[in-house]
Parts: sequence; C-alpha cells; structure tokens
Amino acid sequence: MTETDPVTRLLETARGNPVDNPFRVTGVMMQYYHVCKRELWFESRNLEIDRENPTVVRGTRIDNTAYDENRRNLHLGMISIDLLEDGRVIEVKPSSALTKPAKMQLSYYLWYLEQIAEVTTDGVLAHPKERNRESVELTDERKMKVEDAIRGIYDVVSKEMPPPAVEKPFCDSCAYHDFCWC
Amino acid sequence: MDRNYHVFSDGRIERKDDTIRLVTDGDEKKHLPIENAEALFVHGQIDFNTRLISFLNDQGVALHVFGWEDYYAGSIMPERGQTSGQTVVSQVQAYDDTEHRRELAASIVSGSIHNMRSNAVYYDSRDRDLEAEISALEQAASRIDDGLPINELMGIEATARKAYYRTFNEILPEEFRLSNREYNPPPNEINSLISFGNSLVYANCVSAIRATALDPAISYLHEPGERRYSLSLDLADLFKPILADRVLFRLVNRGQITRDDFETELGSCLLTEHGRETYSKAFEETLERTVDHPNLNRKVSYQYLLRLEAYKLKKHLLAGERYEPFKRWW
Ligand code: SF4
Repeated sequence: MTETDPVTRLLETARGNPVDNPFRVTGVMMQYYHVCKRELWFESRNLEIDRENPTVVRGTRIDNTAYDENRRNLHLGMISIDLLEDGRVIEVKPSSALTKPAKMQLSYYLWYLEQIAEVTTDGVLAHPKERNRESVELTDERKMKVEDAIRGIYDVVSKEMPPPAVEKPFCDSCAYHDFCWC
Repeated sequence: MDRNYHVFSDGRIERKDDTIRLVTDGDEKKHLPIENAEALFVHGQIDFNTRLISFLNDQGVALHVFGWEDYYAGSIMPERGQTSGQTVVSQVQAYDDTEHRRELAASIVSGSIHNMRSNAVYYDSRDRDLEAEISALEQAASRIDDGLPINELMGIEATARKAYYRTFNEILPEEFRLSNREYNPPPNEINSLISFGNSLVYANCVSAIRATALDPAISYLHEPGERRYSLSLDLADLFKPILADRVLFRLVNRGQITRDDFETELGSCLLTEHGRETYSKAFEETLERTVDHPNLNRKVSYQYLLRLEAYKLKKHLLAGERYEPFKRWW
C-alpha cells in the first residue's frame, strides 16, 4: 500500500473526512519550516519551552497591537487568520530577516482558503516598524511551493528525532535557544 | 530574574488584591513582591488558604514548605500550562530500558563525584591536606561504567561521598567536625547544616524541573518513588557540592554561623530561625552568582544552571542528543 500524499491527507483532515492518519499544518508550522526545521519539530511535539522568554512575548505583542485598523480574526480549522475589511488576509512579519517564512505562511493561508473555503483572495504582508506593505498573490508557482512545503513539513514532523541544531542568525532570539545550545 | 522568597516568621500569608502579604503573629504586615518569583519558601508556622494557592498557581510560583524532618516537608507546584505527554513517554522509555537507565545513572554519579572533587581540590590548594580524599574520589570515579547495575553505581557514589565528607573535617574548624553523616534527625550541627543546604538544593531542582514539563517523579539514579520528586534527587546530587557545601564552608569558616545558631529539641539538632536566615541568605546570593557559559556565550546564574540541567536531560530524552552531566568547569 502506498502512503497517501500528505497534501491529500491534510485536505481530507481539514474537510473533516475520515482519514486514517490525520495531518495538520498550522500557520506557525509553515513559518517554522522555513525558519528552522528543528524548531518545527519541537513545535509539533508541544515541547513547551520557556513561555516567558522575553523575545517570544515581544513577538506576540507586536502582532496584537501593531494595527488597530479594522480587522477580523477568523478561525478556520487548522488556521487562524486576520482579514482586512476588503477581505484580504493580513500577516504581520516580525522582522525583515523573516520575510520568506512570513510570506510562505501567508501563501499557505491563501492556499488553504482556496482549497477549503473556496475563497480566492490576496494577502498583505505588513511590517509595522518599517511601515511598508507588500501584496502577496497566490500564483500557480506559489501553490506548488506551498504543497512542496506541506510534504516537507510532513517529513520533518514524522521523524522520530529532531534535525540537529545548526546555528542561524535568529537562534539568539529563538525560544529554544538555550535548549538547543546548553 | 527568577527569585526565591523566604519567610521565617510565624503567621499567615494571604492574597491581598494582586499581591500577597505576610501577617506575622505579632500583627506586623509585610508585602511580598512575588511577581516573577520562582518560588516561595516557608520556614515558619504559616497559615494560608485556597485563595492564596490559586493566586500562586496563576503566577506560576511554587510554594516550598520547610519544616522539621530533614527540613524539606513538601511543595505546592503551579500547574504551568499543559504537560507534555511526549516528554513523559520518553522519560519512561529511558527508565524502562535497562541500558539507557544505567547510562543516565552513571552520568549523574560521574558528575556528582567530579563536583565533590572540585571542592576538595579547591581546599587542598588552600592549605588543607586532602590528597588522600582526592585520590579516593578519583578512584571511585574510575570505577564508573555505563554498564553497571544501579545499586553498584549507588555504591560507588556512597563510597565517594564518604571520602568527600572526610574532607569536611579538614576544611572546617574543630568544633564543627563531622563524625558521621547521619539522617533523621540530624544529630549534630554540621549534619543539620548539610541537611538544610541539601533540602534547599532539592527544592530548587523541583522548581527547575517543573519549568520544563519533565515529570519530576521519573528518575534514573534514584528509584522513582523514593521521594515524590525523585528526579530532583538525581539533579540535586550534581549541585549539592557547588551550592550547599560551598555555602556551608564559607559561613562556618568565617564564623557567620556558630554553635549558637542551633538548638537541640527532642534529640535533634536543628538550625534556629536566625541560623536558617543566615544560611538562606548566603544560599540565595550563591544562586544569583554568575559564570561564563562556554556554549551559550553569556553569563548565566547558578540558579539557571539548574534549569539548563533539566533542559539537557529533556533534550537528551527527546532529541537523542548526548547528555553531559553538569561538571563544574570554572
Ligand atoms: S535555537 Fe536555532 S537551531 Fe534551535 S530551534 Fe531555534 S532557530 Fe532552530
């Protein structure tokens, strides 16, 4: 018997259809996949390290207070997104170093909306400190990237052990820093 | 900074709005700044109610009760979010796998002997002749092997500890000699100080373990169930020489703790309130001391070393990366 494609499995899970081995991907997981696969593995295992870590707290605060414009938060199965009044999805990117991960997270939301809610819309990537915004469209190429990433995520989280720690510029601000390097 | 607060007087501790306060038997009221505290240590006769417990729980602050028998009486631990099933499963798997358990137990014994030895070496360099004890410690260390059964590892640890306690007689002034290390009740001053210090180390390890979602009841060197938080016994062994014993040597040698700081009751020799205060203060200062951490590239407090030890163990269990026990490196 061949393994079901993780993308199919995710969609079946999201649609609430019975599936042997449910598979979920949250926005944060999509982001971590592009930031650090080790962090993704930790996140998938609910490792619960240091929730009081100041960096983590700061990240959350920017996210919640940076924009007081009208936006609605919507929970849709595996994802929780912020919608602007015109229906576009907005994602706040925490720092310019993390543009790609934030863009992939946003693309995943757009993909998910299209697949599950049958809503096609665009995204806005916003950086509160730099006061700029970038529009993100779900092109065919982006769709493919999202689906490849879903398969990649599946590979990482289904491993028994996490990938080894490899030093990256953002390790210093990662909640798992001391855990990885002690 | 995660701090501990110690309460020595008798009275009651209560929630007062969004803080807590101590009302002593003499009706003195004192505010306890426990925001961001790690734990509250209660040494006197204290009344409290469930409101206080819920508040401490919300704040993530542990309450450690210090009483009579060997000082540590128990803890009320905050719930601290969800526990991690995966972590507990891997803890149990490592315990169940004889080879794996022995490996971890051997690491702990080796770290603990290393740290005893580092105290002996330090005082040897300060005009005590501790060569015989140092070589006994080294000999014990050389017998450690990953494949040894737990009781043999325990035996090696006990032999080492015996040699180590002989150094106390050289390090301390005559009136504080330790003839025998005895427990329950501590029959003389030095035994009582050792017990008090060890129980503080133990309680701090309980807090450190709690911060990691490890189950404090599943241990490797000590038998689970030996105490409710037997994993704390494992970790505490590594840190007792660095924390408890150094504080003890310092306070006694400088005459900051004297025989007047003890009282004998019902055949036990126990620290007086003043003695406990003096010791706890020096102990807390030691926890706040910092040292350069070679891998983290920054200074970390001794207290944080306890947390890191729990991380290391957890990382080993979940990520399969090698567990290197804490060995004093400075
Ligand atoms: S500290 Fe670095 S290697 Fe470890 S999880 Fe965080 S980003 Fe990844």
